[in-house]
Amino acid sequence: MSDNLNAGLDTPVGSDGVFTLALVKSGLRLTVGPDQTALQVLEAAGIDVPMSCGQGICGTCLTRVVGGVPDHRDMYLSGEEQDANDQFTPCCSRSQTAVLMLDL
Amino acid sequence: MFLRNTWYVAATSADVQDKPLGRTICGESMVFFRGDGGKVSALEDFCPHRGAPLSLGKVCNGKLVCGYHGLEMGCDGKTVAMPGQRVRGFPAIRSFAVVERYGFIWVWPGDVTLADEGTMPVFEFFDNPAWAYGGGLYHIKCNYQLMIDNLMDLTHETYVHASSIGQKEIDEVPCTTKVEGDHVITSRFMENISAPPFWQMALRGNHLADDVPVDRWQICHFTPPSHVMIEVGVAHAGKGGYHAPDHTKAYSVVVDFITPETETSILYFWGMARKFQPQNAELTASIREGQGKIFAEDLEILESQQRNLSKYPERNLLMLNIDAGGVQSRRVIARLLAQENSGITA
Repeated sequence: MSDNLNAGLDTPVGSDGVFTLALVKSGLRLTVGPDQTALQVLEAAGIDVPMSCGQGICGTCLTRVVGGVPDHRDMYLSGEEQDANDQFTPCCSRSQTAVLMLDL
Repeated sequence: MFLRNTWYVAATSADVQDKPLGRTICGESMVFFRGDGGKVSALEDFCPHRGAPLSLGKVCNGKLVCGYHGLEMGCDGKTVAMPGQRVRGFPAIRSFAVVERYGFIWVWPGDVTLADEGTMPVFEFFDNPAWAYGGGLYHIKCNYQLMIDNLMDLTHETYVHASSIGQKEIDEVPCTTKVEGDHVITSRFMENISAPPFWQMALRGNHLADDVPVDRWQICHFTPPSHVMIEVGVAHAGKGGYHAPDHTKAYSVVVDFITPETETSILYFWGMARKFQPQNAELTASIREGQGKIFAEDLEILESQQRNLSKYPERNLLMLNIDAGGVQSRRVIARLLAQENSGITA
């Protein structure tokens, strides 16, 4: 894991809501704009993430988080599961840190 | 246009037992089912998963299970479970206020927060050992106000029901109509006439001679939203008519709960409550059969009338002296509709 990939994992996300997805398997860094979802950005980059409801209900897009802190906006995970911060639903959830590192 | 913040009969208690029942009330597709403890619930008939009517499913352990993919719906419109799926985030579906009373399931199709059991109509003849009740349900393709018109003007009996309750004296004796607030009353009293066949049968049912002159009465009561109770009967002539002692007359109330389904269809819960020989179940059955045949005669007229009106919606209809009861009932409904639509609650 390069230092570059780890940068921003402790930095709070800016007020504009823009954050970066750091993908450990592909090495990609992708920017999620304020009007985009993480899932849209992943799909646009050709990363295949299964999805269905698109609104945090079904859990189909659940993705493992390996660094950073998600901003959970789903209704799928329990409170305890959300607090563990080791997975999130990229269809609707965002990031509390400038960088969110995913197991993709 | 329907009054929505009010109670309508949606079904009989017997209609909703171990299976869900789908009904359309005032344009709303609803499913009725018995949850825990047998309590009736009414929900939107729409599975939040894929939109299948929940009424096609079944009831298991007090939950309504969708017949498509097994979503389990609770009594409050919140999904309880779904195979292989977490349901916490499922949006709730609409639930309606329901009361089970007098052997019927009553629903409030409007704003559930305004539903008030205290505004339920009260009837002395239900759950009363001095009275017996029998009735049925017809699904009629006509606007609910046409059914009210029909019941508030009984001169049609002479023509539509010529072989059972019709007789020329109905045409010959004028009716009087009065309005007391939201209550419209149209009355007709006929004296010293012969009893038509249905009433001869009723007289025999009360162990009274059926071949002597009678006094006959019809007192039609409209109350909102669309209930028509008609006091009807015959007494041996000269005994006091409507006020004659019970043992000299056959006295009943024709019970009509008219529930709009769409603008051009109704659920018509008809019946007769009678205040003679209440323990005689055989009599209840024969009156019910007779009434069912008589009321079926209205079906063809009403549906054909609706087809004509739908074809020529711009045609103005005549409102004659015999129509005063229906006209006044329509005015009450129009006034209450205007109130409801302007947000004023009574």
